[in-house]
Amino acid sequence: MLQDIFFTGLINSGIYALLALGFSLIFGVARIVNISHTAFYMVAAYMVYVLGHMLGLPFWLAILVAVLAVTALGVLAYKLVIEPIREHDTAVLIGTIALAAIFQELMIIFFGGHYLSIPALVSGYTEVAGVRITNQRLLTLAIVGVTLIGIWLLLTRSRLGLAIRVTAGDREVANLMGMNVGGIAMWTMGISVGLAAIAGVMVAPLFVVDPLMWLDPLIIVLAIVVLGGLGSLKGSVIGALIIGYVETMTVFLVPAGSFLKAAVALSIMVLVLAIRPEGLFGVAFEEER
Amino acid sequence: MVARLLATLVWLVISVLVLSSGSALAADPIRVAVLGPMGFLQGEHHWRGAQIARDEINDAGGVDLGGERRPIELIQIETNEMLSVSDATTAAERAITRNRADFLVGGFRSEAVLAMQDVAMDYQKIFLGVGAAHGELGERVQEDYDTYKYWFRVSPTKSADLGRQLFAVLASVAEQIRTELGRDDVKVALLAERAVWADPLVQAAEHNLPNMGMEVVGTWRPSAVATDVTAELSAINRAGADIIFTMLSGPVGIVVGRQSGEMELAAVPFGINVEAQKAGFWQATDGKANYLATLDTYSPVEVTEYTIPFVESFIERFGEPPAYTAATYDAIRVLAQSIEATGTLDADTLVDYMEETTFRGTAGNLKFDERHDPTWGPGFVTGLAVQWQDGEKVAFWPNGWQGVSYEGMRPFRFPTAMRED
Amino acid sequence: MVVRTMRRGWTLLRTEVLVLPSRIVVLVFAVGLLVLPLFTTDPYLLRILIMASIFATFAASWDFLAGYSGQVNFGHALFFGTAAYSSALINVNLGISPLLSIPIGALLAGVVGVLVGVLCLRLRGPYLSLTTLVLPIIVVSVFFAIPDITGGELGIRRVETITRDRVANYYIAVCMMLVLCFFLWKLGNSRFGLILHAIREDQVAVRAAGLNTSRYKIMAFGISAVVAGLVGGFYGHFVRSVGPAVLAVQLSFEAVIFGIVGGIVSIVGPVAAVFILYPLTELLADFPAFQEFRLLAFALIVLLVLLFMPRGFVPWVRDRIEQVCPSCKNRNTRGRKRCRVCQTDLSD
Repeated sequence: MLQDIFFTGLINSGIYALLALGFSLIFGVARIVNISHTAFYMVAAYMVYVLGHMLGLPFWLAILVAVLAVTALGVLAYKLVIEPIREHDTAVLIGTIALAAIFQELMIIFFGGHYLSIPALVSGYTEVAGVRITNQRLLTLAIVGVTLIGIWLLLTRSRLGLAIRVTAGDREVANLMGMNVGGIAMWTMGISVGLAAIAGVMVAPLFVVDPLMWLDPLIIVLAIVVLGGLGSLKGSVIGALIIGYVETMTVFLVPAGSFLKAAVALSIMVLVLAIRPEGLFGVAFEEER
Repeated sequence: MVARLLATLVWLVISVLVLSSGSALAADPIRVAVLGPMGFLQGEHHWRGAQIARDEINDAGGVDLGGERRPIELIQIETNEMLSVSDATTAAERAITRNRADFLVGGFRSEAVLAMQDVAMDYQKIFLGVGAAHGELGERVQEDYDTYKYWFRVSPTKSADLGRQLFAVLASVAEQIRTELGRDDVKVALLAERAVWADPLVQAAEHNLPNMGMEVVGTWRPSAVATDVTAELSAINRAGADIIFTMLSGPVGIVVGRQSGEMELAAVPFGINVEAQKAGFWQATDGKANYLATLDTYSPVEVTEYTIPFVESFIERFGEPPAYTAATYDAIRVLAQSIEATGTLDADTLVDYMEETTFRGTAGNLKFDERHDPTWGPGFVTGLAVQWQDGEKVAFWPNGWQGVSYEGMRPFRFPTAMRED
Repeated sequence: MVVRTMRRGWTLLRTEVLVLPSRIVVLVFAVGLLVLPLFTTDPYLLRILIMASIFATFAASWDFLAGYSGQVNFGHALFFGTAAYSSALINVNLGISPLLSIPIGALLAGVVGVLVGVLCLRLRGPYLSLTTLVLPIIVVSVFFAIPDITGGELGIRRVETITRDRVANYYIAVCMMLVLCFFLWKLGNSRFGLILHAIREDQVAVRAAGLNTSRYKIMAFGISAVVAGLVGGFYGHFVRSVGPAVLAVQLSFEAVIFGIVGGIVSIVGPVAAVFILYPLTELLADFPAFQEFRLLAFALIVLLVLLFMPRGFVPWVRDRIEQVCPSCKNRNTRGRKRCRVCQTDLSD
C-alpha cells in the first residue's frame, strides 16, 4: 500500500502541477487571476477531438495544431477581454468567469452535453514496484518534468524570461525602466494558456471530455496555487505535491470516504491559509496593496 | 445597448402573444409536455421517444376522445435540471400555466423530479416519470395518496427492485466464474458513487454477498463526478477482486470503464453504470471498456412484441439505439390508451383506469403497484443486463432466470486478463 | 396626528425622492411591484418575480460586503445555503413554523458569516476570494457524508411553505426585498458604511484614525450573511426542497455577476441587474430555439457590460441622467442650473 500511495500520489501531483504552473505564471507577472485557465484546457481537448476524431488527422498533428491554436486563442482573449479591464482585479475575475461560461456554452451547443474521449498517445500500462501505472500517466509525468525544466530555462536564460521575472518582481519599476509591461503580459498569457493546452491534450485522455470538465480541475488548481502562494512557481509545484498526496492518501486510507478527497485537500488549504495568509511561498501583501 | 435590450424585450412579448393566440385557434390537440435536460442525452432521448409515439399515434388518426379524433401535441420543456433545481420547478410551472399542458412526462435527476412532482400535484396534472429512480417519488403516493396520486413512474423500476435484479445477475456471473474459470472463492469489490440512491444497495451487498458465497474485499465510494479513479482501482486490484460491483450513475462510470481497461485489471465490472447504457460509451471510453457490464432497459431483444419495432424505428430515425429515458414512448402510449378507454381527459378518472390496467409496453407488462411504480418480476418488467463486447452492447440476462428468457440473448464473457491469472 | 405624519411623508417624498430621476425610477419600481397583483395573478409570472426578488436581495447582500467593505467574497452561497439548510432542517425535524425557522436559519448564517469574517481578517485580495470560494464546496462534501441528516444529493424534501397562496408568497418576497435592500442602502450611506468605504480604500489610514477595522469588517460579513440567510431560508420554504444547489459554485458566481453587471457599491445595481436579466432569460426559454443560448447570451451580456460599462449598468445610466455637485457631492438631475442643496452654479 505504501508504494501505491507513493506512485499514485506522485503521478497525480505531476498532473496537478502541469495545470497549476501556467495559472501561477500569469498571476505572478500580471496579477491576473484567470478563471478561464482550465476552460482553455477544455478547448484544447475538444480541438483534439474535432481534428483527430472527426476530421481524421493523425493524432500527433491534431495535438500540435490544438496547442498552437489554443495558445493563439488565449492571446486573442487577452487582447480583447482581459487587457481592457485588467486594472480592476474583480472585473478580471468576472470577465474570465464569463469567458469560461462562453466556452462551456459553445461546447454544449456544438457537441451537446455528451461525454467524449480523446485517445491516449501511448496505451498499456507499466508495473512499477507492483503498482500498475498507465503509460499515458508516465508520459504525463515526463512532460511535467520537461515543462518544469523548460520553464526554468526560459525564466533564467532568456531575455523574455528576465523581463518576466523583473515584471513579476515589481511591475511599477519595470514600467518606469521603459519596459513594455503590456507586451510582456501578453507573452506570458500565451505561455500560460499554452501550458493549459498541453495539459488539456495530455491529461484529458486520462479522463472524459465534456463541457463541464473545466470546473473540477479549476477548483483544485485554485487550491494549489493559493496554498503554494499566488505567483510562486516553486509554491505551485509543492502545492501540487501536497494536494495530490492528500487526495491519494484519503482514497487509500479511508476507501469508503474517497468522495471526500477534494474536501480534505481544500480543508488543508484553508488551514494553511489561516496560519500563513500569503500561502507557503507567496509574497506577503503589503498593507497598501 | 439599452435600446436594443428594450427592443428585444418588446419583440419577445409580441411574439409570445402571437404564438399563444395562434395555438389557441388550432384544432384542440392533447398537449403533452416533455420535460428534460434537452442539452443532455437523457433529455434528448425523452424528446425522441416522445416524438416517435406522437407520430405513430397521429399518423393513425390521433387519439379517440369520445368519438372525436384529437392529435397529440408535444411541448418541449428545457428543465435545466442538471444545473438548477429551481429552474426545473419554474419550467414545470411554465409548462402547466403558459403552455397549458394537459399531461407531463419525463424528468431525470431525482432531486429535480421531486420538486417538479410537487408543482404538478399542485395543479393536479398527471405526471408520468421517465428516468428518475428514487424510491421517495413512489413512497409519497403511498403516504399521501390524495395529493400525489397523479404521479406514475414508467421507468426505471424502483431501487429495491433494481437491487433484487442486481443480485440475481450477480449470482449468475459468480456461478459462471466458478464453472468456467474454476475459482471457488469469488471476491467482490464494491465501487459505489457517493449518492443516496446507492446507500441501501451498498448495505444490502455487504450483507447479502457473503450469504451468496462471495467475499466482499472492500467498499470504495468515489464522487459521482470524479474524473480519476486510478487510486481506487489500484487498491481494488491489490485486494484481488474478481468482480467490481459498480453502482454509478454519473460520469465517473466512464472513467471507471476507461481506466479499468487501460490498467487491464483481472476483474470484470458489473452493476449499475448509467453511462455504460448509452450508445456513446464505447467512444467515450476510447474503446477501453471491453467486457464491462451493466443493467439496462433497451436492447434489440424481444422482450415484448413492441420492443424490436420501437428500437429499430428509433435507430432508423436517430442513428443510435434508445436510452432508458426514451420510455417516454411508453408513457405517451399509456396516456393515449387510457384516454381512449375512458373517453375523458379528467385526471381522476384516468388515474383510476391506469391503476387497474396492465399495459403492454416496450420493456414488459407495465402494471403500476400501490406506489404507482412499475411492478418488477417474471411476467412484468424484468429489465436486462448487457455487456460491452468489442464495441457492441449485447444482452446476456435474463437467460433462463425464473424461466424468463428473451429472443436474441448472448453469453457473458470474461476479460483476457481474468482468464490468464 | 395622521395628517401630520402624512404631511411629513409628503415632504420627505418631495425633498428626498422626487428630486432625482434615479430615485423616481426606484419608487416607480417599488410601487409597480406592490400593485402588480391587482392587474394579474398569473402564477408563472409571480413565480419569476418571487425568484427575482430572492436573487436580487442575495446579490444586494453580496454588494454590501464586497462593494462597500471591499471583501470580495466568492462563496456567498455559503450564507444562502447555510440558512436554507438549517431553516428547512428545523422546520422538517422539529416541526417549527417557517416564520420562526427562517429567522433562526438567518441568525445561524450570521454566525457563520462572523466566523468566515474572522478567518478572512488576514487574507487579502485574491486569497480572500479564492478561500471563500472553496468553503461552500467543503460544506457540500461534508453534507454528502451525512446523508441521514442532510439527505445527501437529494437534499431536504417536504419543507413546509409559509403559505400555499402564490400572491401571499409574492408579497412576502417583494416586501422582504424592498425592506432589506432599503436597510442595506441606508446602512451603506450611514457612518458605518462610510467607515467600510474607508477600509476598502485605505485600511491603514482607518486604523491610524483609531478605529478597530477588524470589528467593522467582521460586522460587514455578519450583516451581509444575515440578509443572504433571510432570503435563503425563504427560498427553501418557497421551493419546498433544499439541496446542494443552494451551496453551488454557480450560485456564488451569480451573486458576483449580478453585482458587477448592475454596478457595485450601490445596492440598487445588483437588484436592477437581477430584475432585467432573470426575467429576460426566462422569456427566452419560451422559445425552444433560444433555450440553448440562454447562458451564452447571459455570459456575453456580462462581458459587454464589463467592457463598455466597467462600473456597471446602474452607475452608467445614472451618470447620464444625473450629475454630482462639485462642491457638496450631492446628486442633481442633469441639466439643473444650480445644486438643489448648496445652490452652487452647475451650468458649466
